[in-house]
Amino acid sequence: MLGVYDNPDTVFAVTEKLVQSGYDVHDVYTPFAVHNLDKVIGVKRTRLSTAAFIFAMTGLLSAVTLQTYTSYFDWQMNIGGKPSLHIPTYIPITFELSILFTAFGMVGCFFFVNRMFFGRNTDVIDIRVTDDRFVIAVNIHSKTDVKALEQAFVSGGALEVKERAKEI
Amino acid sequence: MSYESPIREPLVTGGKTYADVTRDILRPLENNASKSWWIGFSISAVVLAIWIAATTWTMLEGIGSWGLNKTVGWAFDITNFVFWVGIGHAGTLISAVLLLFRQKWRMSINRSAEAMTIFAVICAASFILSHMGRPWVAYWPIPLPNAFGSLWVNFNSPLVWDVFAISTYFSVSLVFWYIGLIPDIATVRDRAQGIRKFVYNFFSMGWNGSTRTWHRYEMISLILAGISTPLVFSVHSIVSMDFATSLVPGWHTTIFPPYFVAGAIFSGFGMVLTLLVIGRVVLKQEEYITMGHLDAMCRVVMLTGTMVGLAYITEFFVAAYSGVEYEQYAFINRASGPYWWSYWIMMSCNLIAPQVFWTKWARSTPWFIFLMSIIVNIGMWFERFVIIVTSLHRDFLPSSWTMYAPTFTEVAILIGSFGLFFTLYFLFTKYLPTINMAEVKSIIPTHAHDDHHDTAHAEKGDVAHG
Repeated sequence: MLGVYDNPDTVFAVTEKLVQSGYDVHDVYTPFAVHNLDKVIGVKRTRLSTAAFIFAMTGLLSAVTLQTYTSYFDWQMNIGGKPSLHIPTYIPITFELSILFTAFGMVGCFFFVNRMFFGRNTDVIDIRVTDDRFVIAVNIHSKTDVKALEQAFVSGGALEVKERAKEI
Repeated sequence: MSYESPIREPLVTGGKTYADVTRDILRPLENNASKSWWIGFSISAVVLAIWIAATTWTMLEGIGSWGLNKTVGWAFDITNFVFWVGIGHAGTLISAVLLLFRQKWRMSINRSAEAMTIFAVICAASFILSHMGRPWVAYWPIPLPNAFGSLWVNFNSPLVWDVFAISTYFSVSLVFWYIGLIPDIATVRDRAQGIRKFVYNFFSMGWNGSTRTWHRYEMISLILAGISTPLVFSVHSIVSMDFATSLVPGWHTTIFPPYFVAGAIFSGFGMVLTLLVIGRVVLKQEEYITMGHLDAMCRVVMLTGTMVGLAYITEFFVAAYSGVEYEQYAFINRASGPYWWSYWIMMSCNLIAPQVFWTKWARSTPWFIFLMSIIVNIGMWFERFVIIVTSLHRDFLPSSWTMYAPTFTEVAILIGSFGLFFTLYFLFTKYLPTINMAEVKSIIPTHAHDDHHDTAHAEKGDVAHG
């Protein structure tokens, strides 16, 4: 069941109330990030930051390996008598590659966990959620008191309450 | 959504609702292009044609078509390269550094500033390609297994670092920009019909506005900002090391990295002001990019201009104090030699002129801000010209002292690069939302627009999560 609202504060309050009353809040769809709403509906802290760190370390190792292998182990070049294995001059490229790997790896993971890809046709819950509407989606189980839920939606200030047969 | 202090000016004026934001910002996308857009786009396209012609001529004829000589082997091309890379820096600064500092005024200008970053880096990269003389071997600085006797690149060279820095900077900026665009592309998608819907749907990647997605989105935005901040400082530091690691008097100074970064931010904000002072009027976005935004940017220009000026004076002091007569001569020659005029253009545009922003009048008069932004752009172009040409043209052997003057081809490439930049920028304003709608909506006061909900309720919400 979906409740459509036009104010983030109302949505926040209603979601909080629904969660406290024990309804199975599936998700809340909003045109912008409503802070702390993720905590209310019990979204666990994402592990993307850990992924980012792992990618950063991968980039760092790749850069160090590339530079030491090519300029020391594989083929040393004598340029002005300067040393071939010279760690300080490896720092800039190591830094850049760590950043590059972090950015692409993390964003790739982000797309993967959200199942996002170019050309994906999403089943938009309500086309107005990308404009100015906020939708709370509550799963209905056999035990759910639909009447009471509807009442909770309306008393919270819902503009529309509708049912959706299809699973999200 | 956000708590607004009664004594602060609102970041978005005009009492906008969320729907107003969508409608106002998508107006240029959803209607036929205005006459002013066509005029601007056509002029840019003609100038772009000059760029194509001059670059093509350089490639056919070779670097001999430029005014370089044995003493001055690096001049206009590298000046333009550093100029454009510097301009790019403001975009990342606005979107990443101001995000880390939670400066909400960034939200209505970050999109266009980041677009500017990307287009400016494209212009800069074009100068790297054309200055090689043989662009078909441009892949040589990349460490690829090759048939030249397993000869790898020289990792001790800042020019190789630069290849990595610029390509990382470009691709990470592009990713950061695109991530910010996805929710807004979805907004366009949900309002479009037919072929437009298909195209925007393709690029929206199935965005649905779910809180779970927003949660992850906020996390990656924060991390991207966190890694872009040191990235932007590293890029211009590495650009400055192209010069600073050499032994040429006038280049061989340890102050270069911070001095170049300050200069890059300065010139970048100059270009942001050039674009936005005009853009906010033409695109009717005065309520989103307010005088408060212009004021804040003018302050940044004044601060960074003064930092750059301090660096100019420090260089002089260090040259005098070092006791190295080559170093001392390089600086005396800069200020009073045959290129004295370029030195004093640099000084007056970058250090002296921005001081007018101490006055409230200067920071709140759009035509004057526009004029100043042009002065900043000119000054920063001359800064690079001064550093590069005046340090080279009188080298250690007086017998090889010479003068450098650009040829018609070089000037045409410089002018043409503005055509490249503005053509891309005009296309951007027509096909993508120039203001980050999702972020702007989050800074609009929630109870400003709906009076049918009781205020007490809304304020309770504010306390809970504002």
